[in-house]
Amino acid sequence: MNKDFTQVGRSVPRKDGPIKVKGEAIYTGDMVLPRMAYGKIKRSPYAHAIIKKIDYSKALEMPGVLAVVTGDEAPNKWGIVPQTANEVALAVGKVRFYNEGVAAVAAIDEETAEAALDLIEVEYEPLPVLTDPFESMKRANEVRIHEDAPENILHSGDQLFGDPDKAFAECTYILEREFSTSYVNHAFLEPHTSLASYDTQSGQLQLWSSTQVPHYLHTQLSIVLEMPMSKIRVTVPAVGGGFGGKGEASSSDFCAALLSRKIGRPVRIVFERSEVFATNKGRHPCHMKVKIGLDKDGYIQAVDFDNTMDGGAYAGWGIVVMFYTASMIHLPYKVPNARANVRRVYTNKPTCGAMRGLGGVQPRFAMECMLDEMAEMIGISPYELKMKNAVESGYRSVSNLHVPHTEYKKCLQTAAERSGYLEKHGKLPFGKGIGLAGGYYISGTAYTLYQSYKPHTTVLLRVDTEGGATLHCAAADIGQGCNTVMAQMAAEALGIRYEDVHVISGDTELGTFDLGSFASRLTYASGVAIKEAAKQINDKLFEVAAGMVGCRADQLEVKDCRFFSKFEPKKTIEWAKVVDVYTNSVGTLTGLGHFSPPRLKGIDLTRGKRVQGANIGHSPTFGFSCQIWEVDVDLETGKIRVDKVTEAGDCGQAVNPMSVDGQVEGSILFAMGQALYEEMKVAPDGKIINASLHDYKVPTAMELPEIDTTIVDSYDPTAPFGVKESGEGPVQPTIPAITNAIYDAIGVRFTDLPITPEKVLKALKEKREKEKSEGK
Amino acid sequence: MYLNNFEYFAPKTPGEALDLVGRMGNKAKVLAGGTDLIIMMKEKMIQPEYLIDINNVKEFKGISYEPGKGAVIGAATKISELEYSPVIRDKYFALHQAAGELGSVQVRTMATIGGNSCHASPAAETPTPLVAFGAKVVISSVSGDRELPLEEFILGNRKNALGEGELLTQFILPEPAPKSASRYWYIGLRDAMEIDAVNMAVNIVLENDGRTVKELTLVMGSVSPRPLVSVEVPGILVGKEFNSELVEKAAQAAAGEAKPISDIRASAEYRREVTAVLARRLLQAAFDAAREV
Repeated sequence: MNKDFTQVGRSVPRKDGPIKVKGEAIYTGDMVLPRMAYGKIKRSPYAHAIIKKIDYSKALEMPGVLAVVTGDEAPNKWGIVPQTANEVALAVGKVRFYNEGVAAVAAIDEETAEAALDLIEVEYEPLPVLTDPFESMKRANEVRIHEDAPENILHSGDQLFGDPDKAFAECTYILEREFSTSYVNHAFLEPHTSLASYDTQSGQLQLWSSTQVPHYLHTQLSIVLEMPMSKIRVTVPAVGGGFGGKGEASSSDFCAALLSRKIGRPVRIVFERSEVFATNKGRHPCHMKVKIGLDKDGYIQAVDFDNTMDGGAYAGWGIVVMFYTASMIHLPYKVPNARANVRRVYTNKPTCGAMRGLGGVQPRFAMECMLDEMAEMIGISPYELKMKNAVESGYRSVSNLHVPHTEYKKCLQTAAERSGYLEKHGKLPFGKGIGLAGGYYISGTAYTLYQSYKPHTTVLLRVDTEGGATLHCAAADIGQGCNTVMAQMAAEALGIRYEDVHVISGDTELGTFDLGSFASRLTYASGVAIKEAAKQINDKLFEVAAGMVGCRADQLEVKDCRFFSKFEPKKTIEWAKVVDVYTNSVGTLTGLGHFSPPRLKGIDLTRGKRVQGANIGHSPTFGFSCQIWEVDVDLETGKIRVDKVTEAGDCGQAVNPMSVDGQVEGSILFAMGQALYEEMKVAPDGKIINASLHDYKVPTAMELPEIDTTIVDSYDPTAPFGVKESGEGPVQPTIPAITNAIYDAIGVRFTDLPITPEKVLKALKEKREKEKSEGK
Repeated sequence: MYLNNFEYFAPKTPGEALDLVGRMGNKAKVLAGGTDLIIMMKEKMIQPEYLIDINNVKEFKGISYEPGKGAVIGAATKISELEYSPVIRDKYFALHQAAGELGSVQVRTMATIGGNSCHASPAAETPTPLVAFGAKVVISSVSGDRELPLEEFILGNRKNALGEGELLTQFILPEPAPKSASRYWYIGLRDAMEIDAVNMAVNIVLENDGRTVKELTLVMGSVSPRPLVSVEVPGILVGKEFNSELVEKAAQAAAGEAKPISDIRASAEYRREVTAVLARRLLQAAFDAAREV
């Protein structure tokens, strides 16, 4: 914590708070343009089929129908990872998941568009449906989902660091376990929504979209529509949550744009919840085999990680998520030797993609549960084992991940003390339990989807007499609060107040370049750029202020809206007066700042050899946290009640502590859903049978446990304003902490999700029967 | 997700309502709360030509209670009104509990007691305690009224005993016996907005000694196509002094009577197991409460 800050570290109400609370925020679905038409997408009733013929003549004849488009009209492939782009706006020749779009209609109203869908006749030749990744690999000779993937595998990776085999041979304690995670999605409130307006005179397209990635959407539109980026503008109105699910383009974006270009009128498409499920890009189900070896003193010597990922129908973020899962085994504990064999498999299900804390949640579940079990093998507390192995500031993993600063041990310590973990663990009555888990996440990610050194975020600061200070950046505030923290950091750097900074974001025309809201990158990235931009403005104002107060410019500081001499504080002048003098003589002041992440090589440090995919997960800094969950298991019904969660997190310097608390509490409920309630259930024909928020069970306010959060004192000296992430790290420890608590309560270690009452009851019964047969 | 076109009627008197129901027959659907009906229409499961909205008929709404005689509840009474009614809480506690667990606040504000029984979902909340109280329904038509025990009104999954031209208008609940108490609960994944895997209501009457069971009704929901009234449980407990051994026997008997199915919410095996748990807990809770009366 930096006590000299006045704007960073303030719990200010968010910029978007009041209008959202009052219901005045304008989301894409609220927007109506003159002559606007409504789009709907015709979807496939098969999860895997060849499209023989599409006949939409009857739909076109229907009064009120303006146009129909099919995949053949826009066959260019798009994808968030350029090297694996294999998605199309609407299916071309073949559908690969249930409810994949095959045609889109524009009509004068939504009702007509919906009715017209029934008039589109599609002839299919059904193909065998593969819903299980192991079956998909096994039957690849006979059923191929993508022509260019003969084994039904998008990509696989084999990474070796050090000599795990030799290390295991010398280990005193070795544990091998298998874990599986469930098929879940983000359940954000606002469905994907797109409004496109194409001007036939200028050939200019504007797209308003509920997206996390305006820039990527911009590039993908350019590819699919075959239009130069300069003719496209992407604007992000208020967004009702993303959590990764809007971290790629959506078919609603392409279909709205294609239809608008065809009819020369604006077209809006709002997804139904069933369409969100159909195209959800949720978390990858992972089937992991993990082996961990410890020496006689409990220090980790080696980790062997094998992961088969169910990727669904298309590539999406797949290859990135896959290598993340491999990368995530290297922290937050010191692992000198490691091996990862990972593969991402195609299946006939909605594509998996990015979901809050991507790539980290699944391996964290496995490793934190296994370390809990290994502590028991050794006969020490899991707390002690984790403290012993926890990384420290300056640590460099064998895969070349560099941790410039960490307070992880302080997180473990704080959570343990505040919860009374050591006094309670192993000592609570049967049915009650306490569980601990730690976690970390990247911050300002170093991996670039661009294979170049291009800056990832650029910020333009503008100071005018009329406008005060304005920050321009095309970053997308999707509810995570980047507009608020950017304003706080800009205010801090300029020496003015947060309330005086205006933010113009979420627009590729008005804002300067930003890569998007994902990978917990924006606070760090924009912070660097803001510092650089603000310095340019301050340098100019210092010269003017120096003349006005009568001292040298390099003796000045700016704070609380005043310039003053460091040595003679009485020499002072108001910030606004200096701005007046500057702008009245020279004109508008601007400063431009950039952020380019460090490019660390993914290498095996023991050999100095490049390892494919090992640079994913590299990051200029990392956030850390610990959670301790206390549960009460109903031994008769299997129902798990969470009594309390104690969390302690290292997010560096908190820019807005109130927002950090919000992120942490939101993360806890979010991950608790995957642990205990949520799961998309897929029928053998590929249909999701609970594709609604009625049947897909996200936790309600009734499930919200008591949460005690602590932002541990932290300041990363290498980071702008000392910051780190806080939006994705806190989801990491949740699932294993609950699972460990359940073990402490009933002595059963669960290795698959969600842990439903039914599974608990079954496990309790098996345990009793086993104990009976062993004569206990 | 658009509704089919339909003609909309909003009668203001019982006579107008029954006349419309009589004339339009099966082509019409009655709109009370709409929390099930509109969803079924949106999903194109049904496409009625007419909707008869009975919300403007004040005679179909409200709770009246006369000491010694019992309660009469209009079929179009909102679930939230039951939830917050002091009479329901004091006299028919299990119904108060069930009303508070139905859907969400929004749904409870719209949904009605009549709709909950007419829709006849096996997992419905309010029929379970209503049957436990021995509720009767009043079925009205232009040619007059008839009464039927609720357990005979609900015939199965989405099937009820309404004939063409008939409308469910009232629930009649008998006055609770002295030294009696009722309890309701359910098993579901979450603590709100849940479709119950099992629900149950127990209504118990004790002798003056405060120990001997005089009368007992145990009704199970979601483990059979319609509310399942236990035959065996009263046989085990009535006339006996309440004790944990008998309760355990009764709980197992209830589980044995349950006819659950496996679906996406729970397996039949789990449902059967927790039926016994619910029975044990509710019998005990209702007994404890009855002793306090």
